Amino acid sequence: MSTQYSILFKQEHAHDDAIWTTAWGQNEKDRTETIITGSLDDTVKVWKWSEEKLELQWTLENHQLGVVSVDISHNGALAASSSLDANIRLWDLESGKQIKSMDAGPVDAWTVAFSPDSRYIATGSHLGKVNIFGVESGKKEHSLDTRGKFILSIAYSPDGKYLASGAIDGIINIFDIATGKLLHTLEGHAMPIRSLTFSPDSQLLVTASDDGYIKIYDVQHANLAGTLSGHGSWVLNVAFSPDHTHFVSSSSDKSVKVWDASSRTCVNTFFDHQDQVWSVKYNVDGSKIVSAGDDRAIHIYDCPM
Amino acid sequence: MASFGWKRKAGEKVSKATVQLFEAEAEAEGAGRGEGEDEVDWLHAIKRRREVLLDDCATKSKRLKDEGALLAEQGRQWEAIKRWDEAIQLTPEDAGLYEMKAQVLTSLQEVFQAVQAAEMAVKLRPLWWEAWQTLGRAQLGLGEVDLAVRSFQVAIHLCPTERPLWEEDLCWAQKLQRQSRAAREKEEEEEEVKQQLLHAPELIPDYDFESSEVVAACVTIAERQKRYDSLRKSTVLVDSSGALVTVSNEDDEMVPQDQFVKARCL
Repeated sequence: MSTQYSILFKQEHAHDDAIWTTAWGQNEKDRTETIITGSLDDTVKVWKWSEEKLELQWTLENHQLGVVSVDISHNGALAASSSLDANIRLWDLESGKQIKSMDAGPVDAWTVAFSPDSRYIATGSHLGKVNIFGVESGKKEHSLDTRGKFILSIAYSPDGKYLASGAIDGIINIFDIATGKLLHTLEGHAMPIRSLTFSPDSQLLVTASDDGYIKIYDVQHANLAGTLSGHGSWVLNVAFSPDHTHFVSSSSDKSVKVWDASSRTCVNTFFDHQDQVWSVKYNVDGSKIVSAGDDRAIHIYDCPM
Repeated sequence: MASFGWKRKAGEKVSKATVQLFEAEAEAEGAGRGEGEDEVDWLHAIKRRREVLLDDCATKSKRLKDEGALLAEQGRQWEAIKRWDEAIQLTPEDAGLYEMKAQVLTSLQEVFQAVQAAEMAVKLRPLWWEAWQTLGRAQLGLGEVDLAVRSFQVAIHLCPTERPLWEEDLCWAQKLQRQSRAAREKEEEEEEVKQQLLHAPELIPDYDFESSEVVAACVTIAERQKRYDSLRKSTVLVDSSGALVTVSNEDDEMVPQDQFVKARCL
């Protein structure tokens, strides 16, 4: 266990082009940790994280265009990826085989997110609908309508009660999953929201926007609890630590920042990337952070516990 | 997201009358200046110098940029580029100048310079999707289809709501990509068959000339030759819907003279 933030590992030239998305999962059975990355080079790569090293397991090549978003199911067995080719693909992480391919329709697959029970995959669409696909059926099972604009970002609350979506015009919508009802509409930012994340207790929602700000909302009362500034450009991704104390953000200003969730101050800034950092995620116990971006490199950082 | 109106106008819609009027005025102006050349207007010269001093680089560059945009709208592209080059001297960090220059250079078919200017624009402002679109279009002009597909994808990733990027730019570039791939594959196949023909495995062994082996070898060679000819006679075509069709040129009844010559060396 380290006592300070430090860079632990760098995988240079992990892809042939910019890396747009990452996910970090853990297999329920054998506790192995997997990182997946999606890139503008049309591929998804599956890496095994063991002994403080990344080891390439699979290169998944079925997508025809750049991979916009990836996610790993909560049991660590499946991965989902969405691409500019309008397909959402489901992969078996152990065999590296494609299980399903779902045609979401052009412009209708952006961020993908597994539901906490891993039975569904949610993605936003250009008409402001959140489409929910069944993992078993491989079909669109229902959709939630925000009556808004293109949905760039999606997040399920860990307790499975809420689904939040962030739109290109800066509007945030929070749905009650059980009833499918729209609970809150928040006019959070005036610019696109590229990422949002719930706290592990599902009480807080953190949003990242092109306006350079990070905002924290109280989910139940739909109150703005804080606005954080510090990035010099678009905030591209945010992720909450599973231990609830911190969250991390990445930006096109090439930095990765770790924030204290209670004091709402930046506790550490990593300036290790050479270019925009599109994606940042915590591992399952919150002891590590992964980041990747336009410089094609994957970085792993150590967090004090 | 500053967009320039004339990008989508494509220049053709500017009425001819306006252009002529503008040109006539410009000529008259030029003539007027010619007359007064030897009379130095000291009063205004001093005034102008003060103006120059007051004008900082940014505002001067802005004026040149606007002048250039106006000229480009009038169809006077080269003059526009000259204005923008001057502006670039004053404000070399302004991505907008390179982007506009790239658009106009693309329309002038100055493809290489266009790509260079657009590359400068995305380097200076990597989050500006319109610069990536302009770069993609310039790359298409240069025939760099794969690079164009990449540039359009970057633009979409920055601004996915821009439907023309999906429906026109990316769609078109992908179609071209498929076509060039099909053409390349056919070329490769043709080459491979040709290689087989020239170094036919049937030519290597020593044949018993009395046996039927020779006949069999001749038949395979002839068949291969036929396949090569049919490949050479066919062309990869693209129908109006963008589907790929391989068509054999029926009219072209070109029968190669060396059809059976190859078997002679047996």
